[in-house]
This record gives sequence, C-alpha cells and structure tokens, in this order.
Amino acid sequence: MNISNSDIILLAHAAFGIMGSMAALWVLVETLNARPENARRIRIAALVAAVSIAGAWICGGYFYIHYYPPEKALILKGPWPFAHNIFMETKEHLFFITGILAFLLPITTREKLDSNSAARKLVLSVAGMILITGLMVEGAGAVIDHGVKVALLKEVR
Amino acid sequence: MDSPKLTAATSGFVLAAAIAVLFNTALAWVKDASRPVTDFMTSLGGHHWTTHGLADLVLFIGLGFIFMNTRVAEKIDPNRLIGVLTVAVGIAGLGLVVWYAIF
Repeated sequence: MNISNSDIILLAHAAFGIMGSMAALWVLVETLNARPENARRIRIAALVAAVSIAGAWICGGYFYIHYYPPEKALILKGPWPFAHNIFMETKEHLFFITGILAFLLPITTREKLDSNSAARKLVLSVAGMILITGLMVEGAGAVIDHGVKVALLKEVR
Repeated sequence: MDSPKLTAATSGFVLAAAIAVLFNTALAWVKDASRPVTDFMTSLGGHHWTTHGLADLVLFIGLGFIFMNTRVAEKIDPNRLIGVLTVAVGIAGLGLVVWYAIF
C-alpha cells in the first residue's frame, strides 16, 4: 500500500468539506426548532461548520497549488477537458462563497434565535446556502476526479 | 416576544458578505480575462488563487468591522438584508457557472 501526502491532503479536503456541509445542515435543523435550550448547540454546530470549511480551504488550496498542475495537464489532454475548464474553474471560485458564508454563520448564531424571527430566517438562509454551495463544490470535485480517471484510462487502453 | 432586529455586528457582516461574494465573482472574471492581473496577483501571494482568497477575506472582515462600527447595515430592514445576501449569492454563483461554461 502506498498512500502519499497528496492523497491524504486531497481526501482531507473532501472530508472537511462534507463535515462543513453536514454541520450547516445541523445548524439548519436545530434552528427550525430554536429554543433557549439548544442555543449553545447551534453555536457549536456553526463553529464546527466554520472550522471544517477553513480546513477544506487550507487542504484544498495546498493540493491545488502543489499537486493539481499535473492532473490538470492530464485532464486537458483527455476526453473530459471540461472537468477542468468548467468544473474546476467554477469550483475553485465558488468555494470562496461557501467559505465567506461559513465564517458568517457563527456571527449570525450569536443572535437570540428563539425570540427573533428575522435572525432565525437569516441563520436558515446562510446555513441553507452553505449546504447548497458546499454540495455543488463536492459534486464538482467528483467530476474533476473522473476527468483524471477517464484521461488515464484512455492512456492504458 | 418576537424582536425582529439584528445587532450591528450581524447586520454589518451580512452586508459585508453580500459585497464580498459579488467581489469574488467580479475578480474571477477580471482574472480570467486579463493575464496581467493574474500575473500581478501571483506576484503578490505566490499564486493567484491564494491572493484571491486573501482579498475576499480581507474585504469581508474589513467591511464587516466598518459596517458594524458605523452601524450602516443596522438601519436596513432585516428581511431586506437577508434578501440582499441571498440574491448576491445567487448572482455570484450563477455568474461563475455561466462565465466558465461560455468562455
């Protein structure tokens, strides 16, 4: 078995991304039923989302800068060049939107959600948008991965 | 008792986030269209993507503190502020997808 640093970093990037998205879903569900008793749990979940997305940002950025260029060359020579030209180009910038929203989430959950309908609506919106953009980014990652796979398969066939 | 108002910190950072996500998409377009801009950003942070992310964060945090201290965003109706953020994220996200799908 040969697991390289780049493999670990790439998988950590995806895992942090999923953790962030799931934590946003956790915030969303708890906020639908916001009470004084679950206020602390909502703030912890929001913090988990922010820290996870920060982890995905650091791991993804490190991989993108240090390990992605050869994969990009492979994709562009392969049958799925759009995996880079559309999906990676969109993903690497859409991710920043998810990041900004994830850093906003802990700020919004400091409001009294059980007694403030506008704050509840805000937290639901921010958490929902993190979930949607986060899953879009994860999906784009799968397409990019497949772009590498079909390029390699073309070379061995 | 419902009190549908947001604090100066929350409203300030919500408005800052709306501006930062739109700035992010605009910078992605400019970078993609102009090689000198990409090169300049690469010279600043070692990689254009690193500089891009840092610029987004600095803008978000900087504007957030400015809006919080000046209480500008606090005067905006919370529902309108949520609408502004949602529309900004929608435009910014769609703007990226359409740009890279076409160009």
